Amino acid sequence: MEVTLLNLMHGFSVAFQLDNLWYAFLGCLVGTLVGVLPGIGPLSGISILLPVTFGLNATQAVIMLAGIYYGSQYGGSTTSILMRIPGEASSVMTCIDGNAMARKGRAGSALCIAAVGSFIAGTFGVIMLTIVAPPLATIALRFGPPEYTALLILGLVFLAYMSSTSLVRTLLMACVGLMLGMIGIDNMTGHFRYSFDLVELGDGIGIVPVAVGLFGLGEILSTPSHKVTGEVISPKYRELLPNRQEWKESAWPIARGSVLGFIIGIIPGSAHVISSFLSYALERRVSKHPEEFGKGAVAGVAGPESANNAASTGAFVPMLALGIPTGPITAVLIGALMIHGVSVGPQLVNDHPDVFWGFVASMYVGNLMLLLLNLPLVGLFVSVLRIPYAYLYPLIIMFCIIGVYEVNHSVVDVWIMLIMGVVGYALRKFSFDPAPLVLGLVIAPIFEQSLRQSLIMSNGNYLIFFSRPISAALIAICIILLAMSAMTYMLKRKDWRDKLAEAEAGEPSA
Amino acid sequence: MTLRADHVAGSAFVVFGIAIIALSGDLPVGKLSMPGSGFLPIIVAAMTIVFGAALLLRSRESQPFSAIDWSDGKHAAAVTLITAVATGLYIYLGFIVTMAAMMIALLILIERRRPLYAAVYSFAVVLTTFAAFEYLLKTPLPPSPLSN
Amino acid sequence: MDRRNFLMGTASMFAVAPAFAQDAFPSHTITILCAFPPGGANDIVTRPIAAAMEDIFKHPVVVETKAGAGGQVGAQVAAVAKPDGYTLLSHNNGISGYAEVDKLFGRQPKTQRSDFVPLARLIADPVLLLVNADLPYKTAKDFIDDAKKRPGEIVYSSGGLYGATHLPVALLEKATGVAQMRHLPTNGGGPAITALLGNNAQMSTQTVSASLAHIKAGKLRALASFGAARSKALPDVPTLKELGFDVEYYLWVGLFAPKGTPASAVATLSAAIDKAAATEQFKATLDKLGLEGGYLNAAGFAKFWEADAKSSDIAVQLIGKQG
Repeated sequence: MEVTLLNLMHGFSVAFQLDNLWYAFLGCLVGTLVGVLPGIGPLSGISILLPVTFGLNATQAVIMLAGIYYGSQYGGSTTSILMRIPGEASSVMTCIDGNAMARKGRAGSALCIAAVGSFIAGTFGVIMLTIVAPPLATIALRFGPPEYTALLILGLVFLAYMSSTSLVRTLLMACVGLMLGMIGIDNMTGHFRYSFDLVELGDGIGIVPVAVGLFGLGEILSTPSHKVTGEVISPKYRELLPNRQEWKESAWPIARGSVLGFIIGIIPGSAHVISSFLSYALERRVSKHPEEFGKGAVAGVAGPESANNAASTGAFVPMLALGIPTGPITAVLIGALMIHGVSVGPQLVNDHPDVFWGFVASMYVGNLMLLLLNLPLVGLFVSVLRIPYAYLYPLIIMFCIIGVYEVNHSVVDVWIMLIMGVVGYALRKFSFDPAPLVLGLVIAPIFEQSLRQSLIMSNGNYLIFFSRPISAALIAICIILLAMSAMTYMLKRKDWRDKLAEAEAGEPSA
Repeated sequence: MTLRADHVAGSAFVVFGIAIIALSGDLPVGKLSMPGSGFLPIIVAAMTIVFGAALLLRSRESQPFSAIDWSDGKHAAAVTLITAVATGLYIYLGFIVTMAAMMIALLILIERRRPLYAAVYSFAVVLTTFAAFEYLLKTPLPPSPLSN
Repeated sequence: MDRRNFLMGTASMFAVAPAFAQDAFPSHTITILCAFPPGGANDIVTRPIAAAMEDIFKHPVVVETKAGAGGQVGAQVAAVAKPDGYTLLSHNNGISGYAEVDKLFGRQPKTQRSDFVPLARLIADPVLLLVNADLPYKTAKDFIDDAKKRPGEIVYSSGGLYGATHLPVALLEKATGVAQMRHLPTNGGGPAITALLGNNAQMSTQTVSASLAHIKAGKLRALASFGAARSKALPDVPTLKELGFDVEYYLWVGLFAPKGTPASAVATLSAAIDKAAATEQFKATLDKLGLEGGYLNAAGFAKFWEADAKSSDIAVQLIGKQG
């Protein structure tokens, strides 16, 4: 512990050097920009700026590039809340309640809570990274395909709590999502599935076009401007900050989201997208007012946003401690360090203490910078909502198109977005909730691959899921959860869904 | 019997599931111990059919189909059409021309705004965005064919 | 198919319009399509060479990611791009195998090797026969003997089916007579190494640069190299040729132009790439990445590609159709 503190002090002495502070700031600034503007995710942001860092030393480079990464996680919530455009998969859940809050005139509050939640989660993540990185990293390695499969099954079980519609409707949406997720080349056998000879479908349907179409465009299609006139809520500047009630409601979700997100973040693979989905479902499960979710529940913003940020910090644990990438972004960072002559592996701490501890310390500083950078911006962003709706929605459509096109430079993606917009419009008419569809789409490829990988490892024996401790534990949790809800159902014959239905029957739906 | 919303929705999902199964003809199903590439799609499609049927059975709970409010349909169709045209032209005419034209079309044709305001607003927004991507983020948006 | 052709035709009609100016090449921005996502060898090597080419041409050289379907999306987009020398492709071993894989599945090949003109091979990184260091294998012989004794029981991880880290295993199996090992495909080199580190797979063939840090840290053990000579970074690791197995395999990154690019443009481009690859800046970058050169100019690369593609075809046939 003392050694860690000593090292961290050394790290701060590196991080507080004027030029390092400057590069951390630059990274955070670009990250915020990249996060706010749709289309350019942290991945392309980092690789575009990579050549710029050729002139810097390794510490400066990684401080700046990592700043882009976690900075973009702060900015990602902005378009979700203001325009209902999820810039990336992890902000899908934010756009449901965040945008609902904005419609109630609480956009400023939602943005503040997202920023503060991100700050707390980010800082919590760095503290954990400082203290427990090496032992945690070893656990991360034990997370093989069977554990992954079990985790995703848990995710599917949680699904039931994610949506405000009936269980059958939720499962139907999830099934459609899973179907869409299976389009494209089958990684295990090389067969093309449902891709109709289109190259662009060969790699499957992206999450961003589907999410932007269902949420962003779908919303616009079902909201003609004559319905909005008169009810534009211009946010007042003194109402930008969350009130005491909202702070109180967000405290626990932020705490739970931070822990949950961090744990999911350290698992190598692409699952950390699901941290925000899981957090949303968890908040809804523990909430006293689950019926408020989807209509502007503070916890529905605070939880997922914190989880998302903690996961992005957690992703650094296996990267720094073991040199293995948890996802594409950490892979780019590893590549960037290699270009600067720092080979990332288990020896990183010993071989390059300046890089390691300077980097960790800079994340404390960077998170603080981001908070200071983002809070004043809230006022600026919220004024976007002052644009009359008739002028605002063409702008949103433009952002939807850029956001989707720039990810892969593919017009096919824009067409998918457009089709999904129409689908989203139709789903709304038949009272379906599209969120489980997006989760299904996220989970399908990872679930199928890890299931089949597990069976390759065990040579077709399903006992592998029960013989490995972590996966057995996860499956046990699934069973307990299912048993618990079966019990409540049988005891009460009435769960919150029915109450919700009653509540809705009382007031005519909009 | 009145036609209810869930009659329509449920049948749509059943048809969707059947279509998926029909489309996966040549994918090897494999076996339970080693699923092939057609294995999970067929399971999920079957589940879609089952849940779709459940929706049909419970359709009494839903509102009559005729009660669905389609008053926003005209708006939705018009926006979809204009966006579709813009998408088709996007890479050929480039970002500035297509997006400005799309926004002007939306503002004038659907919103009936004054053409001058619409044009000034659209170009201002489009050019600002273009500049931000081109110079700040160094990620060029599709260029106009006339620019090189 | 027909609709696609029609679309492409329409597209080229639009695209041809501004191509009247045939003055000195290049007169504007050159785009290199990178068929693999950021973080991979292609991206890491292509960006520095693009930066060096920019200095030579005095025109921007932009790297545009067109990743997907194991590099096929990028290859296909480049194959139908206007062949004017302003659109190039950065690709790797994968480009050799698509046609053969399509043949295996009875599909119409979407791209052929003849759709591309090789410009230069930027790097060639030999792959290593790697095992988890906790396993008892100390030499390649230990491993091969054990694999022969327990057919179908050893699991190996790769970055993807028919990919650059899957094919060498097929070649190894053929040369050593090891019976089919079980294949665990993952989504790239990083996840494949992670699977090996976590002992979810027992063996993998990965490049020197990707695995060196783990070998030095004692987590992975390199039993043999697929290179023609021993790697400078790992002088104690014998080559398979030394051990008597005639196998050679590199993960390489090459630059291509679409078929039909004017010969003059090809000549200008390859001369510029030659020059760019010789810059201190580019060499220093490769050094830091742990890559030991392997640059080949257009002529050398064409010859190498011919031979390499043949062994790639053989490997694809050996693997055959899975599942």
